[in-house]
Amino acid sequence: MKYNSQKVAYWFFALSMLLFGIQITYGFIMGFAHMGFDVLHGWIPFNTARAVHTNCLVMWLLSGFMGAAYFIIPDECERELINPKLAYVQLISFAIVGVIALIGFHFNWWEGRKFLEIPRPLDYLVVINVLIFIYLIGGTIWKAKRYTTTSIVLFFGLLMAALLYLPGMLNTVSQTVDSFWRWWVVHLWVEGVWELIMGAILSYLLIKLTGVDREIAEKWLYVIVGFTFLSGILGTGHHYYYIGTPKYWLIIGGVFSALEPLAFLGMAIYAVKVKNLGERNHPNKMALAWSIGCAILSFVGAGFLGFAHTLPQVNLYTHGTLVTAMHGHLAFWGAYAMIVIALITYALPQLTGRKLHDSKLGVFAFWSANIGMIMMTIAFGIAGVAQVYLERKLGLEFLSVQSEIEVHFLGLVLAALVFSSGCIAFIWNFVKHGMPRDTQIGSKVYE
Amino acid sequence: MLSKKSARTFFIAGTVITFGCFIVLTIDTFKKIPAQTNQHNLSESAIRGKHLFDQNNCMGCHTIMGEGAYYAPELTKTYEKRGAKFIEMMLTDPEKMFPGKRKMVKYNFTAQEKQDLIAFLKWVGEIDLNGFPPKPDLQVSQQSVSNLPGNQPSIIQDMCMSCHSLGGQGSQEGPGPALDGVGSKYGVEYLRRWLSNPEEVKPGTEMPNLELDKETIDELVSYLSKLK
Ligand code: HEC
Ligand code: HEC
Ligand code: HEM
Ligand code: HEM
Ligand SMILES: [Fe+2]
Repeated sequence: MKYNSQKVAYWFFALSMLLFGIQITYGFIMGFAHMGFDVLHGWIPFNTARAVHTNCLVMWLLSGFMGAAYFIIPDECERELINPKLAYVQLISFAIVGVIALIGFHFNWWEGRKFLEIPRPLDYLVVINVLIFIYLIGGTIWKAKRYTTTSIVLFFGLLMAALLYLPGMLNTVSQTVDSFWRWWVVHLWVEGVWELIMGAILSYLLIKLTGVDREIAEKWLYVIVGFTFLSGILGTGHHYYYIGTPKYWLIIGGVFSALEPLAFLGMAIYAVKVKNLGERNHPNKMALAWSIGCAILSFVGAGFLGFAHTLPQVNLYTHGTLVTAMHGHLAFWGAYAMIVIALITYALPQLTGRKLHDSKLGVFAFWSANIGMIMMTIAFGIAGVAQVYLERKLGLEFLSVQSEIEVHFLGLVLAALVFSSGCIAFIWNFVKHGMPRDTQIGSKVYE
Repeated sequence: MLSKKSARTFFIAGTVITFGCFIVLTIDTFKKIPAQTNQHNLSESAIRGKHLFDQNNCMGCHTIMGEGAYYAPELTKTYEKRGAKFIEMMLTDPEKMFPGKRKMVKYNFTAQEKQDLIAFLKWVGEIDLNGFPPKPDLQVSQQSVSNLPGNQPSIIQDMCMSCHSLGGQGSQEGPGPALDGVGSKYGVEYLRRWLSNPEEVKPGTEMPNLELDKETIDELVSYLSKLK
């Protein structure tokens, strides 16, 4: 860690870990409910559990991205943040808004639109909060000693993510129009601007960890994000097949979304290639493992499993079934959860001065979480394909099908146990690192 | 080899061009949505229904137009499939309509609010969704269905099938028994009493009083007694 203000990143990471823990807990509630044990229904009905699960996910990833930005930007710009105190204000207000939203979900206070459940009054607070964040990051880059492609792409991704929150706040009366705008947020985030954020963090990590030439790394970054937008923007059409929008989206969405895996494929090839090219032998092996793992699993989860149901002929049958949940889990995990975890693994030894990254616990966390998540994906996949066949092909009643596939949720919960033990190990290792230390400022160890 | 500058040009040009196309298509889509969704039928009541649907996060358990959660039935065609009466009873007491099954939240809606939600579901059901939900193309029960007597009252599909099965369709695992052959099991009088008020015939039964009117009961009884 070179600069004092990078320390704030630690607290964003800590918030991330907390929300991650809550997310997993509520995941189990839903897993059990699907198995037929909805004993908590009176207190935490399924829709509450789900809103907490997915909103915790989005919040911990955003908190991770913000922490990443506060860590990376001073380093790339070679200066302190323009106003470190304000960064703490932003952190605390972000946490408060998040906690209010999560509590509200338990009292039927929400907007009830998938992934955008946060109630409207809180949306305005989110906007203010993000404005502060963008101001801090943008201002720091503005006054920077040097401009790097990595920092520009990261900033651009964060700025666009903030702007794209706004279409989700439009008031609508028609379910079709509502859904149309909802995808501007959900799709253009995960299959657009978040990929910029991910690509930039990945490029930063690879430059640091493998010592690859910056020129080469950043050229690749442009090619990858170029493919992302080229396919991803019009690829939004794969959500406009069956919601009451014109038929031409079947062709446009089908063709362009089918190209989306290219960006993820590019990322995977790039990471593996750079790992072999790089001359540097960085001691933080686990950070490299998470980075390469991220590039590969994001291709599997987002690219491959996304492609599997993106053509309109297939999507007609899989639309709105557990097949989507299968894809959603591995895509979010591989692309965004893993990139945040990779950066945390890289940053922690620098922030705290403790060299725990290659500990047995850290290695166990990596394998257990990833193997567990792949098993969960398989469980969701089998349940999903069975559901599609029985419900959409054979025409059985929804609830009859659900009792038929209950057993796969036993599989899911068992896989989730493997997954969670890895996650707990990771969080425990995080705690063991302790707090950031001032003695680390200016230290070059583990850079 | 590609230079960094041309890589950047590729990124910027690709983004600008596709985003331009996306905006043009968005404008065109907004011109076509009103016709495709029958916006002229979108009544005040249906709009209130949409807001109730959002405020209570029904999408947190159900899918609608294929979006939402995968825990409860897809609601796009529920109005067509079950009818207003069933939905109304569902919104009054879900446990009564699906005893012992997966739980839905019991809401305290006013009569007006229930009508609003029904109006909303009716409107959604009429949108042209380019073929979604798909017709089950491997459905096997077609043939056994055709062995059933003709003129089936529509209420059987709407209401009874959520608890009973008949000719291989409907709920296979209860809570009610299959209705095949009830005609030989019970006489007309019994069926009439049963449908008017199951509780009176068999205290503590799980079949709810569906508050059917006399004509419907007559129609049902004459149909059921043909199921030999
Ligand atoms: C906690 C989850 C949950 C929530 C929230 C929920 N439902 Fe349900 N709903 C269910 C389940 C599960 C069923 C299937 C029947 C059963 O087991 O009760 C169902 C069934 C229905 C049905 C009958 C569907 C059919 O095809 O038979 C309708 C209509 C319905 N719900 C409407 C609503 C509306 C409107 C809302 C919001 C005001 C809502 N539900 C909120 C879980 C939920
Ligand atoms: C909420 C679920 C539910 C609905 C809806 C329902 N039933 Fe039933 N029905 C049951 C249950 C449960 C039983 C078994 C009752 C018992 O034996 O206590 C039953 C029993 C019956 C029986 C006696 C069957 C036998 O073999 O003993 C008939 C006839 C019947 N129902 C007809 C109907 C008709 C007609 C409708 C539609 C108008 C209907 N039911 C709707 C739950 C339901
Ligand atoms: C990291 C990137 C990605 C993430 C995090 C992600 C996540 C998700 C999530 C959470 C959903 C459910 C959304 C909802 O119903 O509200 C979804 C739907 C979908 N995704 Fe992705 N996705 C990613 C990339 C992709 C890619 C690259 C493709 C195509 C090649 C794709 C194809 C689809 C399709 C077709 C659906 C709609 C499913 C349906 O009709 O129910 N996704 N995705
Ligand atoms: C203990 C581990 C977990 C369990 C048991 C679990 C279980 C579930 C269940 C049952 C659902 C609801 C599906 C439905 O609507 O019926 C769900 C939704 C979801 N979960 Fe998880 N989950 C876990 C961890 C995770 C993790 C780590 C991530 C992200 C990296 C994640 C991302 C999601 C997403 C994006 C959805 C929404 C999917 C969609 O709408 O298509 N979950 N989860
Ligand atoms: Fe998408």
